[in-house]
Amino acid sequence: MPEAMLELKGLSRSFGGLLAVSDLSFTVEKGAIIGLIGPNGAGKTTVFNLVAGFLPPSAGEVLLEGKDLVGLKPHAVTRRGIARTFQIVKPFRNLSVLENVTLAAFLRFPMRRQAEAEAARLIEKMGLKDKIKFSANDLTLVDQKRLEIARALATGPKLLLLDEPMGGLNATEVDLATLLIRDICADGVTIIWVEHVLRAIMNTSHRVIVINYGEKIADGTPQEVVENPNVIAAYLGKRARSHAAD
Amino acid sequence: MRFILILVALAALLAAPWVITDPFYVHLMIMVLMWTLLGASWNVLGGFAGQVSFGHSAFLGVGAYATMILYLNLGLSPWYGIVIGGLAAAAIALPIGLVCFRLRGPYFALSTLAVAEIIRLVALNWESLTNGPVGLLITTLPPVTFAGVPVDWESKTPFYYIIAVLAVGSLGSVAMLAHSRLGAYLLAVRDDIDTAEAIGINTAQVRVSALALSAFLAGVGGGFYAMYLRYVDPDAVFSIALSVEMVFIAVVGGLTTVIGPLIGAVFLVTLGETFRSHFLTGHLIFYGLFMMVAIRYMPEGIWGRLRLIFRNRSGVRNA
Repeated sequence: MPEAMLELKGLSRSFGGLLAVSDLSFTVEKGAIIGLIGPNGAGKTTVFNLVAGFLPPSAGEVLLEGKDLVGLKPHAVTRRGIARTFQIVKPFRNLSVLENVTLAAFLRFPMRRQAEAEAARLIEKMGLKDKIKFSANDLTLVDQKRLEIARALATGPKLLLLDEPMGGLNATEVDLATLLIRDICADGVTIIWVEHVLRAIMNTSHRVIVINYGEKIADGTPQEVVENPNVIAAYLGKRARSHAAD
Repeated sequence: MRFILILVALAALLAAPWVITDPFYVHLMIMVLMWTLLGASWNVLGGFAGQVSFGHSAFLGVGAYATMILYLNLGLSPWYGIVIGGLAAAAIALPIGLVCFRLRGPYFALSTLAVAEIIRLVALNWESLTNGPVGLLITTLPPVTFAGVPVDWESKTPFYYIIAVLAVGSLGSVAMLAHSRLGAYLLAVRDDIDTAEAIGINTAQVRVSALALSAFLAGVGGGFYAMYLRYVDPDAVFSIALSVEMVFIAVVGGLTTVIGPLIGAVFLVTLGETFRSHFLTGHLIFYGLFMMVAIRYMPEGIWGRLRLIFRNRSGVRNA
């Protein structure tokens, strides 16, 4: 059995009376690309916020390579090796593309010149080389999504949490982004990926986890998941499930 | 090129009291330099770290009182006292930072206003230490000789050189900050705290560091203020007007620039004095009007605008 990169055990989080994530457990093995999907409001982003330390869980454990992360501030979680992107892009708007990524590279390279060299390498990899001097605010949404990923990679993560990297991208851009994600995985980074663009996630993920109302309703290969009646019901409603069963 | 310009500026600073002997103008230069120091202090927190404070007079006041009390009660020479005043301001900034940095944006700004008011009330009521509303007064400063010559504290020239050293020191430390990793982290915190955390920046620690440096500079300015005017009382040093003046100087000069506060101080101090001498009543109206025009049409500040113009001229445009 391959070693676990990340393990969630009974993770729960409520907001007032609303249970956003409920007793969620799953394991992510090293080197995998895991798709995390679910209808709007299913709690996907909350899961990311819990793992990355942006929200404290109400109950449960988050283990990175066996070590508990609960209670750590986001910056400390990043230092342990988890990087994230934001669904609604959050670049440093007044800084250039290079500065954005260099700031993240400082985590591993205290000297500015080395940090900039690493940042430039990642910017080129993400296809932003021509725009390295642009202010982050002047980039198109597609490029800002790429910048999010470059910035997250610059911290040197073991585990990368991508929150809808393809939202708002057209078909060609989705294909390019898919290749990039496979490429990042090939470099040895484990990936958990929240996405609404199902075609991309089904083509790329090794395993897909589906949550609805904060609970895990399916966990398996992309093929298993699309045939799972609970998943079909969650996405299309109960009547669709009876049609599918026909 | 830049190195030569800095040398010329320092030489001019050194020579100024020989050329300008009218005590009023020497006083004006002292005020410009003191406000440069205070503007630089505000610029560290409000400019680089993007944390707007309306309560910076708290740090100035703590520095002023600490210097004064150490001299009057313990006989500690003000020239150490000024530094200790800065350290006292930095020390008091730490708990303030821990409390206020839980808040963001306008809520943080309001909390600084409240903290300054609390400290003013403490100074007003802790009579055994601060002499309450009556304030503290120094009649004589300790005799000092500089290069074998006794310093004449009745002249303004020694104060000019002291504040010149402090102001240059503050701009130098801001320049170092601007090129350091901490300076870069402050810009990250200013732009987006969540993203800063997400790339591994300990934003609480970074913001508290900026606050401590900022408070230290303001406290040093306060110590100098106390020695120069030889009098402090709570309403004078803990006033909102002082806090707001620091904001204005940093903003009009140019936020997150190194020499912005100097430019801001030159403009606003001389302008303030000019308006005062021409319009005995209502000079603040003109001052206020100038502030509105400056902020409306030059939100990046005078030096910020000049920098943009230079950059565009030389063709090195960002995007």
